[in-house]
Order: sequence, then structure tokens, then C-alpha cells
Amino acid sequence: MKHLQHTDLNYSELFDGFRNPNSGAVVLFSGEVRDNNKGREVTHLEYEAYEPMANKMIDEIIDEAISRFNLNQAVCVHRLGRVEISGCAVVVVTGSGHRKEAYDANRYIIDRVKNEVPIWKHEFFADGTSAWGQNCDCVTHKDEHEHNHQHEKAE
Amino acid sequence: MDKRAIKIICFAGLRKYFGSETTVEVESEASYLKVIDELKAINPEAIEILSSCRIAVNEKFISLDEPLKPENTIFLIPPSSGG
Repeated sequence: MKHLQHTDLNYSELFDGFRNPNSGAVVLFSGEVRDNNKGREVTHLEYEAYEPMANKMIDEIIDEAISRFNLNQAVCVHRLGRVEISGCAVVVVTGSGHRKEAYDANRYIIDRVKNEVPIWKHEFFADGTSAWGQNCDCVTHKDEHEHNHQHEKAE
Repeated sequence: MDKRAIKIICFAGLRKYFGSETTVEVESEASYLKVIDELKAINPEAIEILSSCRIAVNEKFISLDEPLKPENTIFLIPPSSGG
């Protein structure tokens, strides 16, 4: 699918193919796999999605960002399956005439993808346990979006 | 009152409680909230995660207080954790 990929993400290639004579600014965000989370050693991640819906939602978010921030181009691709430490889990590239729009739109896209799109992270720890991730940080970001959920405890 | 069997597709952390899919019977006139309540009754250990789930029908999120649509398969969506 256009926005979901089961194989390694080559963001250099994506970036190179992104140049546009109207864009004075191109911003690339790569979400990468950290070797630790909340004090625990992480060995790798696995991502799962409700694929048709996730693909459609990312498409809509991109279209909305292009229109809202007057972008020349925008792309977002998320990995599915196993991703190793330092592997790229998600990439967002935005291009606009000037840098403010490209930066703002990039943040807008990644925040919405993380908070809204049905994609889930399964974290595997060095002690052999695993837990499904939870992005929403209600304590620090309670004013930024609305939700009615509670957090799933780590297994 | 007539009952309907609703097939529920589960993802991510939900599979620990219900497997990849499960079925509940609810009254035909019920809302989606009733489906969630039935699942809570089947496995009380899942109450916390069920309280944070959304439901999608035809690849669109629906409001839990809506009455059941004609579709007999729904997708239960735990909180997103991509990125």
C-alpha cells in the first residue's frame, strides 16, 4: 500500500525523488527505533495496522496537510512488521515554498498519524517480555487533542 | 427482541483477550456500546483496554452510541501507537 510498507524504508531515495522547483524548503522526519523505553532495554519493535483503513487515513491526513499548509508535496510511509534498533519506522517528508510551512506541516502529519491512525507498536524487551505501545501522553499533552481512552498497562 | 450476531475483528493488545476475532449476540436495536459491554462481560480483564477502544465499520470510525448499522462485522480499534 502507498503509505504502508513491510520492507525497509529508504528515506534517502524518498528524499532525492522529492525535489520540486517550487519548494524552497524540504523537511524530512524519520521516526527511528530506540534501544530503550522508560528505562527498559528494547531489542526490536513490530508494527501492525488495520491496513486498508490506516492507508486511507494517512492519505486523507496528507491531503489535508497539503491544503492547510499550502505544500507543494507531502509523503508519509510507515513500516509494518519487525523493525530493528535504529531502523526507520516512519518517514514524513514535506516540501513548501518557505520553511515554516514545511516544518509545521511535517509536525502536523506525524502527530496525527501517531495519535489517530490504526497502527500499533509491539515492543520487545531484553528481558524477554513484550508490551503493546501507547502513544498518547495525557499528562503532558492533555490540551492538544481530545480523547476518551485510558492507557493499557504494559504486560 | 431479535438478536444479531456481530463479528468483531481484534487487533494488537486486544488479541490477548479475544483472539483475532470473536462474536457476540446483541439485540438488533442495540448501540455499539452494548457490543463493548458484552465483551467486558465475557472478559473482565479487558475492561480497561475496551474502555479506550474505538469501533470502525466500513473503514470509518463510528460513534459508540450509534445504533448498529446493517454490517455484521466490526473492527475494534485499540489506541493508536504508531510512529
